[in-house]
Amino acid sequence: MSDPAGASAERELDLTRRKLAEAHKMASLGRLAAGIVHEINTPIGSILSNNETIRRSLNSLRKLLGTAVEQGLPPTPRTLAVLDTLASLTDIDKIACERILGIIRGLKTFARVNESDLQRVNIHEILLNTIKLTNCVFRRRITVVTEFDENLPDVECYPGLLNQVFLNLVVNASQAIEAEGTITIRTRSDGERAHVSVSDTGSGIPEAVRPRIFAAGFTTKPIGEGTGLGLTITREIVEDTHGGKITFETETGVGTTFHLWIPLRQPRSQERP
Amino acid sequence: MQPNGQSTPEILIVDDEEMVVTSIRAFLTLETEFNVHGYMDPEQAVQFMETHPVDVVVSDYLMPKLNGIQFLGKARSLQPEAARVLLTGHADKQSAIQAINEVGLFQYLEKPWDNSQLLLVIQSAIERATLFRTLKEKISELDSAHSSLKDVQSRLLRAFL
Repeated sequence: MSDPAGASAERELDLTRRKLAEAHKMASLGRLAAGIVHEINTPIGSILSNNETIRRSLNSLRKLLGTAVEQGLPPTPRTLAVLDTLASLTDIDKIACERILGIIRGLKTFARVNESDLQRVNIHEILLNTIKLTNCVFRRRITVVTEFDENLPDVECYPGLLNQVFLNLVVNASQAIEAEGTITIRTRSDGERAHVSVSDTGSGIPEAVRPRIFAAGFTTKPIGEGTGLGLTITREIVEDTHGGKITFETETGVGTTFHLWIPLRQPRSQERP
Repeated sequence: MQPNGQSTPEILIVDDEEMVVTSIRAFLTLETEFNVHGYMDPEQAVQFMETHPVDVVVSDYLMPKLNGIQFLGKARSLQPEAARVLLTGHADKQSAIQAINEVGLFQYLEKPWDNSQLLLVIQSAIERATLFRTLKEKISELDSAHSSLKDVQSRLLRAFL
């Protein structure tokens, strides 16, 4: 690029695109927030309840054991039963804490903004994070199936951006499924590229809409549910930023599959400033 | 069963999350004398209610197969006198209004819950269920007294006329 004014305009455009992508990611997370709150409230409720129960039971146990010691008697069956119940509550607490930790880790991965450097990452970890977060919203109505190619090499990419691509595709797939259905995520090695596909058993994309789905500002979703930028940003991240390819196949009433091919390695010259 | 207000109160907890069922059951078992039954599958809970009278049903809202309102609706038709409590992490005004209007909810509680508040709600719910049952018994006693009085009356009339 020899024209300095043109180069500066290009940089500005790139910056605007990245800001827009960031804003869109935060908006997507915002829409997941209600589901995440629900998912965290359940384990928190259990932990608080168990803590209260354990605290009160420890006091009564102290009395029971004190009496037993004074009288030189072994602990009563009631005392042993209380101890067993308390042990089961601490097991529940551990599971509940792990559940919360899993959600927080997923959120942290999504919220990180400083991933502007190319990194070699295991794409399955990004996909599993996406599933964990989106599961908060639709776990009860949608089953997510993964068919991962365990021999898929690490992919050189901008992980934060790919996170967003997968989030967009999985959220779209979930919105295409009206009641109950399945989302299948597959990965496989395809020469020098990683092939990822996201399929849903949803309503399919109507024929009239198909040519416009990647166009900026185009949406069929109600106000507040879609910005009309999700697939535009997804295409830009896959094709412009990573030099990959995105296509889709769809059948009305049967479902839609989005196919992504991401190069395993990025040319050095493409590194971001 | 608590037909005469004397027997042990029967509490039914329904939540698809095992941790919620375990926590509430442990709390109630350690702190009270109630019989606590827990189910993670609302359809199994419906089957249980077909054969076992309960005093209070505490149900989650978001569950597979049947949501809390659908489940409490079935609970209401099976045992109208059992008090219904919705304990939900999905706090939105619409589900609260729907629950109150459609299934005659006794209380709407949100997760994370407070054990002392939950216990107070369950105790008042037991009282309500007991009063409801006593009222039903009194009405049926009145009914039978009324019909025997009518019987006496008609016999008297027949004797004198």
